[in-house]
Amino acid sequence: MSMSKPDLILREKVLAKTRRGVADCFQCMKCTSGCTALKLLELKPHEIMRLIEWGFLDELVTSDIIWTCATCLKCTERCPQKASPYHAIMALRNIAVEKEVKVPEAYLKAVSQILESGLAETIQKIVTRDAEAFDRESLKLPKIANPKGGFQVAFMKILEER
Amino acid sequence: MKVAVFWGCRILTSQYAYEMSVRETFPRLNVNLVDLPETNCCGEPIKSIKESAADYLATRILALTNTTGLSDLLVPCNRCHFALSEAMEKLRKDDETSKKIINTLKEEGLSYNPKIKIWHTIDFLHDFVGTEKVKKAVQKPLKGLKLATHVGCQIIRYSDLGRIDDSENPQKLNNLVNALGAEVVDYPKKLDCCGGALMRSHPNAALSLASTKLTLLQSLSINGLVVSCPECGLMLDSKQKEAAAIAGAKLNLPVLYYTQLLGLALNIEQEKLGLQLNQSPVNQLLLNIER
Repeated sequence: MSMSKPDLILREKVLAKTRRGVADCFQCMKCTSGCTALKLLELKPHEIMRLIEWGFLDELVTSDIIWTCATCLKCTERCPQKASPYHAIMALRNIAVEKEVKVPEAYLKAVSQILESGLAETIQKIVTRDAEAFDRESLKLPKIANPKGGFQVAFMKILEER
Repeated sequence: MKVAVFWGCRILTSQYAYEMSVRETFPRLNVNLVDLPETNCCGEPIKSIKESAADYLATRILALTNTTGLSDLLVPCNRCHFALSEAMEKLRKDDETSKKIINTLKEEGLSYNPKIKIWHTIDFLHDFVGTEKVKKAVQKPLKGLKLATHVGCQIIRYSDLGRIDDSENPQKLNNLVNALGAEVVDYPKKLDCCGGALMRSHPNAALSLASTKLTLLQSLSINGLVVSCPECGLMLDSKQKEAAAIAGAKLNLPVLYYTQLLGLALNIEQEKLGLQLNQSPVNQLLLNIER
């Protein structure tokens, strides 16, 4: 990262999105010590907070590290400064999407599924421990009522807004 | 009494046992569920894509609730409960985005009502119905069962938002298990996450988190684990075999939803509670009840 220059415009954008005090972070590392993704995926929320503060946004937005958060919200809960790394990470993800950086496929799939049926998941058949297959109908569960009217158009419009 | 219910995607598309057991047990406690006229994603996964789009989805659910004329909304999924709670909080602050969303919904013929109260299964049963009433309804006490509980993440954090139980020492689910006559076993790392949210970006890490939690629980000599979130149910029950394969562990811990356990104590037939759908070996636990 030796030649990087801080991106102050993007920094302002992230700070505005987090609406919480990234600048108030005093690097106590409570977030990182309790982070669900620390051991397996090496997510260190306090480092993310520092990099935002310094303006190294491009490095963060293009890195896979922002997609390692398990959204368990422990960092937000425990931050003595109410700086909330979770909200900072979500803001970074939003910018990665806006800049059309590589975004995990499953998230984009969720968007297209919502446009299609209103739901983020597809309906599954369940095979039981005794190898019997069940679906909503055979379980006598009511039919899913998909969204009507202007839902698709409204959702699309909000997605496309800058 | 009547309460509106928003199931969310995970329950409607695969965690049928949770839906079945809520639908079976709640009327026995004199709670009638009213499904929303239509349903969409709560917006939680879309928080990663675009915050305003996520808030639109969540607010739409609240506006759909308004069409039922009811002011209590049951949201059995932790992630949906969080998304709806955050959207409500933003609407309370009434910023530009919120105004825009409310206007968009108006164009769809929907209106938002700020007086809606959001409940999760746990606080609804614990605080609204009440543990005493749950206890009184029990026909078949689950004496001798030793169980651990896992409440998950997003219904207890972050406290500033107003969550359903203490963020570091949640007790309501334990109290509800006790009310059925079963014993609750405490354990270290109770607050560890099931890994569910990582399935979209890092599935192996997600399954590894689930298997770590399950391995620890298995060493406790308990009869099973009680969950109350469809994401946790997916990871700890439905994907238990996959989690075992990733970690090279042998996992065979019965995992079931609280409402399934409640149904057993209310003497409801197992099939009506969806107990045939659990992928973990719940038979072991059921044998202990029948004895």
